[in-house]
Amino acid sequence: MSTKPNDSLLELLHDSREEKLLSVYITAGFPCLEDTMPDMKTLARSGVDFLEIGMPFSDPLADGPVIQQSSTIALQNGMSLGVLFEQLSAFNGIMPAPSLLMGYLNPVLCFGLEAFCQKARAVGISGVILPDLPMREYLESYRKVFQKHRLHFIFLVTPTTPESRIRQIDEVSTAFIYVVGSSSTTGNQHSDHGRETYLKRLLDMNLKTPLVVGFGISNATSLQQAWRYAKGAITGTAYIGRRMKGQSPDKAVSELFHQLGLKPRSTSDRQAQTPEAETTVEAFKPLTSKLYIP
Amino acid sequence: MRVQKKIIKVCGLKDPDNMRAVGMLRPDMMGFIFHRPSPRDVTDTIGDLPLLDIPASVTRVAVVVDQSLEFCLGIVERFGFGAIQLHGYQTPEFCRTLRKHCLVIKAFALRNALPVDVADYEGCCDYFLFDTAGTAAGGSGMTFNHAVLYNYRGHTPFLVAGGLDHDTSLNILDLPIPYMAGVDLNSRYEITPGIKDPDRVNRTITSIRQPRPHKQGNPLKNLRLQRVNQLPHPDENGYYGEFGGAFIPELLQANVDELKSVYKQYINEEGFKNAFGQLLNDYVGRPTPLYYALRLSELFGCRIYLKREDLCHTGAHKLNNVVGQALLAQKMNKKQIVAETGAGQHGVATATVCAMLGLPCRVFMGEKDTRRQKVNVLRMKMLGAEVIPVTSGSQTLKDATNEAIRYWINHPDDTYYLIGSSIGPHPYPDMVARFQSVISHEIKWQLAEKEGRQDPDYVLACVGGGSNAAGAFFHFIDNGFTRLVGAEAAGKGVNSGHTAATISVGSQGVLHGTKTLLMQNADGQIVEAHSISAGLDYPGIGPMHAWLHHTSRAGFLAITDTEAMEAARMLSLTEGIIPAIESAHALALLNKLSLKETDVVVVNLSGRGDKDMETYSEYYPHYEENKQKQ
Ligand SMILES: Cc1ncc(COP(=O)(O)O)c(C=O)c1O
Repeated sequence: MSTKPNDSLLELLHDSREEKLLSVYITAGFPCLEDTMPDMKTLARSGVDFLEIGMPFSDPLADGPVIQQSSTIALQNGMSLGVLFEQLSAFNGIMPAPSLLMGYLNPVLCFGLEAFCQKARAVGISGVILPDLPMREYLESYRKVFQKHRLHFIFLVTPTTPESRIRQIDEVSTAFIYVVGSSSTTGNQHSDHGRETYLKRLLDMNLKTPLVVGFGISNATSLQQAWRYAKGAITGTAYIGRRMKGQSPDKAVSELFHQLGLKPRSTSDRQAQTPEAETTVEAFKPLTSKLYIP
Repeated sequence: MRVQKKIIKVCGLKDPDNMRAVGMLRPDMMGFIFHRPSPRDVTDTIGDLPLLDIPASVTRVAVVVDQSLEFCLGIVERFGFGAIQLHGYQTPEFCRTLRKHCLVIKAFALRNALPVDVADYEGCCDYFLFDTAGTAAGGSGMTFNHAVLYNYRGHTPFLVAGGLDHDTSLNILDLPIPYMAGVDLNSRYEITPGIKDPDRVNRTITSIRQPRPHKQGNPLKNLRLQRVNQLPHPDENGYYGEFGGAFIPELLQANVDELKSVYKQYINEEGFKNAFGQLLNDYVGRPTPLYYALRLSELFGCRIYLKREDLCHTGAHKLNNVVGQALLAQKMNKKQIVAETGAGQHGVATATVCAMLGLPCRVFMGEKDTRRQKVNVLRMKMLGAEVIPVTSGSQTLKDATNEAIRYWINHPDDTYYLIGSSIGPHPYPDMVARFQSVISHEIKWQLAEKEGRQDPDYVLACVGGGSNAAGAFFHFIDNGFTRLVGAEAAGKGVNSGHTAATISVGSQGVLHGTKTLLMQNADGQIVEAHSISAGLDYPGIGPMHAWLHHTSRAGFLAITDTEAMEAARMLSLTEGIIPAIESAHALALLNKLSLKETDVVVVNLSGRGDKDMETYSEYYPHYEENKQKQ
C-alpha cells in the first residue's frame, strides 16, 4: 500500500507544460469480469492520462443506453465493490495511471462510506465521482470522510449551473471540475453550438480549479474544442461501445484514438505511473500553494 | 357478525376403530350418513357402532336424504344424535319441527350460484351447509365455485362442504365471508370410502385451530399514538427525519431548484389555490363520496367507510396530483410534460390534463406494464400522449422512472417532469402529498357529518410510492389518535423473492433522488419488485412513509397477490364496486386487523378496477382450477 499522498492526479493536472489531458471511462467488470485490469493497463500504456473506473449500478440515472448496458452486463458478470477492490489490490497501490472511481451513491452507502473510502485509498485510487451526491449533502456529512482518507471528490457543472454555484464548487473542489459539456445523459451527441460559449464563459470565470470536459466527447472536433478551453477531456461511451462490439482493448483504444484524431501516444513521459517504474515515484515536484491536498 | 371459532365437521364415518381414532382428534362434529346408495351408509350398522366412545364435546350428526319426520326423530332419540343434517326437499316447517329436538343443519347443493330458496329457511335452522351439486349426501370430491358465497345475504351460519382438502379448507376459512361457520371434511381425507386418514384430519384440525399467524396479536401494537402539533412537512432540505432530501446529479439541480422556488411561491398563494380547487371540483369531480359500506361493515363487525377516489375522473386519485403539478408547469412556462407510469393511471391522468391544457405529453411505461394495462395505453394514446415502452431492467415502474428522469436530463429547459407518486427528490414528495391531502381534508368534514367526529379510528390505504396513502393520512398524522395503516404489496409472499414489500424487506438507501427504504441486495443494487398490481410494483417507498414507519406513527402490512385478488372479489360481490388491484390491497387489510364494533374505519379506495379486468378475468378461473387440482 502506498503511503505517499496520492497526488499523482494533481501532478498531472498542474503539469507546468501546457499538455492537455485525456481520460477514458471504463465500466469495471465489463465486458468480462476480469477485464478491469487489462483494460486499465492498455489504456494507460496507450497514453491515456487518467482513468475513470465505473462502479456499475442497477439504475444508472445519468447514463445513456451504452453505459447502462455495460453496467447491466458487469453486474451479471458478478461485479461489485468488493470484487472491484479485490481486483484493484493486485496493482499493489500503484495504478497504471491515476484513477478515479465513478458511480452512484447507493452501492457506496451500502458498502459503508468509511469502508469504501478506506479501501479506495488503500488500492491507490485518487478520487471519487458520485454524480448523485449533491454538494450540500457532501459538505454536510461526507466531506470529512473523503478528506480523512485523502480522496478527491469531483463535482460536476453543467450549462444550467448558475455562476454562484460554480464559484462555490470551485471553492470546495480539490482536483478538477468535471464540466458536463451538454445537458445530457452520457453518450448523447448534441449538435451543440451553445457549448462553445459555455466553455468560454467558464474559462473567463478564472476558476482556481482546472476544468475537465466530459460527456459528448466523441470526435476530433469535440475533443479539440474541449482542449481549447479546459485542461482535459473525458470520453467513455466511444470506448465502451467498441468493447461492446467485441473489440480487444488494444483495438478499441487505437480506433478510439483514430476517432478522436489522435496518434497513439507513448507512455515514456509518464512512466512514473506504471507499477514497474515504482522507484521514480520519489521524483514528485513540490505542489504549488494554490493546491489543496485532501 | 363474524363467527369466530370455526367448526370442523368430519363426515361419512362407518368403521368402529376409524371412528374412535377420528373422535380422539376432537373435531367439532362427526357425521353419519343414512342413505343406502352411499358407500358410507350406516343405516343397517348404526346399532353396532360405538357412538359412546366419541368424546362428548363432539356433536354427532345424522345425515339423511329426504327421510320422514318419524325416521329422523327415531334415530335422534335412539342413538343420541345432537344434530341432524337434511339433504333433499324438506320444508322450512319440517326443519322448524325437528329443531325442537336437536340442532338442524339444512344442506343445499350448488355449483355456480346460491340456491334461490335459501332465504326461506332463515330462522328455522341452526346451520346451513353448502355442498357441491351432483351427488346426494356428498362425497363426490368436487368443489363448487366458492366465490358465490360472497352473495350470501342470510344470517344463519353456514358450513362449506364438497371436495375440501387441507389447503382448500384453510383457504376458505381465510375468506372474509360473513356467517361462514366452518368446513365439512369428507372424501379428500379418505383411505377408502368411509375410512378417514386420521393423520390428514389431524393436520387440518391442528392448522385451523392454531392461531393464524397473521392474526396473531395485534400487528399495530407498536404504533405510537401521540399528538404532535404539526402536519407532515419536511424540513427546508426535504427531510422527514433522516429520510428524503434531494440526491440528484448536477444535471438536474437547476431544474429542481427552479421547481422548489415556484412551488414555494404558489402553494399558499390564493390565486393558485383557487384555480387548483376549482379544477378539483369541476374537472376531477370532487369531493368524492365517503360511502358507508353497510355489508362490508357487517362482514367485519365495525363501521367501514370507503373514500371513493375511484370515482375521480380517469378512475383514480392520481388526477388530484396531476392537476396541481400541471398548473405549476404552466406557471413555469414549460412547453411539454414528461411522466412515468406503472398501472397507467398516472399516465392517463397526465395525458388527460395535458390534453385539457394543450400541452404535449410523453409517458414512459415499462414494456411489461404496457401489456398488463393495455386499456390504459389505449386511453393515453387517444388523449394524444406519446407512450414510450421501456425495455430496460425489470420493464416496470422503476425503469419507467429512470427513463423519464433521463429524458428530463436531456431536455432541461422546456420540459416539466410530472412525477406520479410521493417519491423523487425534494420538493416532489412534499408537493405530491400536499396535492393529494385533499383526500384526508374531505374525509374529515364528511366523517363529521356522518359520525359526528372528524377522526376515524383507522385509515387504510395501499402504498406503491405512497401518494394516495400520503393524501389519506395527511390531516390525521398530527392527531395522535387515528391508526394509519398502509398495505404494501407482498407479491407472492414477503420471503418469496417475488415481492414489492419494501418496508418488510427493504433497507435504507438512495434511489430516484431520495433517501428512503429500498429493496436492494447486499451490494446496494436495486432488486426487481414483483406485484400482480402494476401500480405497486416499485422497489422503494416515499420518504414520508419511511419516516412514518420509522417513527411508528403508521403501520405497514404486506398483502399477497392472492389476498388482494380475494379482497377485490369480496368488494365486488358485497358492495358492487370493482376496485383497482392496488386498492384491493388496502381492503385486504380489513382481514388482518382486530376491529371492534365501535371502530370507524376509512378505506381509501384509490382507484377502480376497469383497467384490471383482464388480470382479474385471467386470474379467477385459473385460481379456481389450481384450487381444484390441489
Ligand atoms: C389505483 C391506484 N392506487 C394506488 C396506486 C399506487 O400509487 P401510490 O402509492 O402513489 O398511491 C396506483 C398507481 O398506479 C393506482 O393506480
